Amino acid sequence: MNDQALKELLYKLADDLLILGHRNSEWTGMGPLLEEDIAFSSMAQDKIGQSHALFQLLHQLGEQQPDLVAFTRNANQFHNAVLVELPNGEYDFSLVRHFLFDMADSLRWQMLTNSSYEPLAQLAKKIQGELRYHTLHANTWIKQLGNATEESITRLQGSLSKLMPYALGMFEESPMEAALINDGIFKGEQALQAIWKSKVEEVLSATQLAVPDWKILVPVYGGRRGQHSEHLQPMLDEMSEVFRIDPTTEW
Amino acid sequence: MKSLDPRVNRLPVPGTPGKITPKIPLDQFGSYEVFVQPKEGKPFQHEGIVHAPNLEMAFVLAKEAFTRRFTCVSLYVTDTRDVFVSPLTDADKNAYDMISDEGVKGNDSYEIYHLAKRGKQHVHAGVVTAGSPEEAMWKARQTLNTKQVFNIWAVKTSNIRKTGEGETILWDTLPEKKFRDAADYKGGDKLKEFLERNKS
Repeated sequence: MNDQALKELLYKLADDLLILGHRNSEWTGMGPLLEEDIAFSSMAQDKIGQSHALFQLLHQLGEQQPDLVAFTRNANQFHNAVLVELPNGEYDFSLVRHFLFDMADSLRWQMLTNSSYEPLAQLAKKIQGELRYHTLHANTWIKQLGNATEESITRLQGSLSKLMPYALGMFEESPMEAALINDGIFKGEQALQAIWKSKVEEVLSATQLAVPDWKILVPVYGGRRGQHSEHLQPMLDEMSEVFRIDPTTEW
Repeated sequence: MKSLDPRVNRLPVPGTPGKITPKIPLDQFGSYEVFVQPKEGKPFQHEGIVHAPNLEMAFVLAKEAFTRRFTCVSLYVTDTRDVFVSPLTDADKNAYDMISDEGVKGNDSYEIYHLAKRGKQHVHAGVVTAGSPEEAMWKARQTLNTKQVFNIWAVKTSNIRKTGEGETILWDTLPEKKFRDAADYKGGDKLKEFLERNKS
């Protein structure tokens, strides 16, 4: 088994979840409805938990402690897609990002239930229930607001066009993609992207939202290689502010 | 009406004599009743309400609002307007004694809930076949009337959004989320440790 390729995969999974978990947690206390505030915060917490489990797997493979990895790296050492680091705007933006990301995330983890790397397959099986809720939540909201009022439809459509190039950036291939596929660790970004597109289309076609014209979209790549937007570093500074005061303390 | 006081500007404008209009519908979400099954084999119990635009959204929002802390195995929701309520009783009066044989006869399935103690929650008691909530309560009087209850609810089974077959996994990792319980943080212990450390 190719350890480098495996670690890279685990890092990108973990970083996506950590960064989006943190971004979504910024809504806590400010959600549009009490119940939605609670649900969105819980799912953000799930994502941080899943990233923690992945950092533990990395630790078992010789990487540093989860807290150190999460809180002491700089932006250019992060492997998350640019999609998840973009700052929150209005709620429609976060909801559409949640829909696009969590659809890909749940399909990815479904594939990983068959991974040849047993600890990853175990984790994938364990969190299926959380993922099931995340996609149920996202898809139900998109269907609800995608059929509601002119304002809600226009807002979702606007966020979809803004976010779609970044969403396609999630599927940037690793230079070691072939090793992952040959070793049976992960079926690969191309296979994932194909299913993701059809599932996104399936949900959108149940709404008044337009399905994107995939051919004219240009994916925003770079995140997987540490090339991020200017938004990531300030977010990391804020996220690790308390930890950095005293890295040895239990808060 | 021009005023700098926002309360004055929110007052309804005086109407035209003779003009009668329907009431304006609520500009807010309706309420949905949430029932939770704490353990396999235990009955569902009423936990509270959520506000939502429809039944499916109510299920989605109820899941985190009511089942993010204590372990449970299943959840369902129904529109408040679909819950039929018997007269409420007190002291040693049984609510079933106030149910008579009336209502449309039929073959729909109805869920019956009992309030066994005032101030507690309604708990699922069983299922009956009936054509109306009235008949459902009358049927329940024959079959589920085993001890005194203070109130009875009847809900048509088809009006309930239940946890689907593939959805029972939603609560798989809940037992591990003890950190959601404030007591799990053990703030007192942490403070004691901190004070001990600073003494020396």
